Amino acid sequence: MNAIALIDGNNFYASCEQSINPCLRNKPLVILSNNDGCIIARSPEARTLRIRMGEPYFKIKKRLNKLGVIVLSSNYSLYGDMSKRLMNLLKKHCEKIEIYSIDEAFISIHRPHNKDLSPWARKLRTLVYQNLGLTITIGIAENKLRAKLANKLAKSINYSAGIFDLEIANNKDSYLKKINIDNIWGIGTQTSKWLRSKGIKNARELKDMNQHELKKKLGVVGQRIQLELKGYQCLPIEDKKNQKKEIRVSRSFSQPITKLEDLKQALAIYTIRASEKMRAQNLKASVVTIFARTSHYSNSNYQKSAYRKLIEATNNTNIILKIVIELSKEIYHPDYKLAKAGVLMQDLSDYNYFQKSIINYPSEDKSERETKLIQTIDYLNNKFKNEVITWGIAKKKQSWSMNRKLLSGTSITNIKRIPTIII
Amino acid sequence: MKKVGLPLISFSVSAGFPSPADDYTEENIDLNEYLIQNPFSTFFIRVKGDSMINSGIQDQDLIIVDKSLIAKPGDIVIAIIDERFTVKRLEKKDDIFYLKAENRNYPDLYLKNYSNMQIWGVVIYSIHNCR
Repeated sequence: MNAIALIDGNNFYASCEQSINPCLRNKPLVILSNNDGCIIARSPEARTLRIRMGEPYFKIKKRLNKLGVIVLSSNYSLYGDMSKRLMNLLKKHCEKIEIYSIDEAFISIHRPHNKDLSPWARKLRTLVYQNLGLTITIGIAENKLRAKLANKLAKSINYSAGIFDLEIANNKDSYLKKINIDNIWGIGTQTSKWLRSKGIKNARELKDMNQHELKKKLGVVGQRIQLELKGYQCLPIEDKKNQKKEIRVSRSFSQPITKLEDLKQALAIYTIRASEKMRAQNLKASVVTIFARTSHYSNSNYQKSAYRKLIEATNNTNIILKIVIELSKEIYHPDYKLAKAGVLMQDLSDYNYFQKSIINYPSEDKSERETKLIQTIDYLNNKFKNEVITWGIAKKKQSWSMNRKLLSGTSITNIKRIPTIII
Repeated sequence: MKKVGLPLISFSVSAGFPSPADDYTEENIDLNEYLIQNPFSTFFIRVKGDSMINSGIQDQDLIIVDKSLIAKPGDIVIAIIDERFTVKRLEKKDDIFYLKAENRNYPDLYLKNYSNMQIWGVVIYSIHNCR
């Protein structure tokens, strides 16, 4: 029999910073989102000070200062590289892996004769700590949903051990009872409200609820959740590489944007990045969507998006840039202060299988030359880093780019910014 | 239209005699491959200071650290002492581990004198700029 484990990094962003900088260890530390907006990660010491996730930084800046909490801007290149290392390590120690987010993965492992997998998990946990300085939590069960619950139980029952095997536990129902309905994977706010109105408060009650009533209200999704709670395997581990449905690049601005020129420039920079990402994964988009919106804190709300279907799937920056710049006029409004914008590359297809359209067939020679040009740009940018070559629009002065005042600046991928030790 | 060759990526060969060495070319030497056995647990770090001078590690050198290795006596290690990284040689005498500088001006560091001492990784190479 195969078991499924959900593995995630504890306080992942904070732990990445602490791993390569020992003076941050055992201290209250919080990490801020883009533009130093709000708190997105906390060390355990910061948790015990009752600093909440999602709290806007400007609101609690004084309090953090008084409590002596260390505050850092998010260093995504560090977290991204640590994540890659973590996933690669896990891959070496399991049969199948589905990377679920930057710090979470489902893996499938063989379970011989209903054996307790805790010893295996303990070994893996030690290995990850030894190799990366990161602490992980491992929840093990029969399927993905129960593995998620087991992971939650591992954190709540015995935080320091960080391991829970739900499948071999005695009296499983008593554990399911400990999980609130809102903490079940796939149950949203609306659904949990409805369930509560029916007197269903925890995972055990949902498991034993009348299945017809559940199916009538929530359809097959609700039915699937209940089946997985009962221990059936409904969702497979999706280890195929090309499971991305869209590539999204969006960011908040440090200063609100009111000029069309600035919006165009921001969207152009995101487009350059998104196209690069597509090429790195051998993907092409058939739909390009852009959006812009005002701040959630602002009184006058505005949000608009626009999209274009492409006749032929592409990842050519030149082609997509033209479209995005045209579309940007459609979402711009001079009366609103825009706080965020983004581009989405959708309806992605694998490069190797893509078909050329019969209409609008570009001359073979031109498209081949363009491909080579863009390959060369990717090659140079990869080799020399920091976008040695880019499109003109990206290089004009930016008044809106991301704020990261508290960035530690340490990198494990850029030789100029690697950690320095005084010996 | 004339095709423009882009030498960095494509290998469109221009006219002329083929090189007799073509069949014998090998990949370039890849230092990553030569120096790094465990890429997922290997980190680059710059050092400042002269406490390890006799081991060959000098001020401003780049060291390559493998975190997956279990440190043995005699290894040069990165340790955490008082919340700071340091680089020293791990030694063992009469069943007691200690950290030794490779410079007579620096004292040996014994675990018992610190509330918290931890090995972070093992130094596998140091890279020194000779110019």
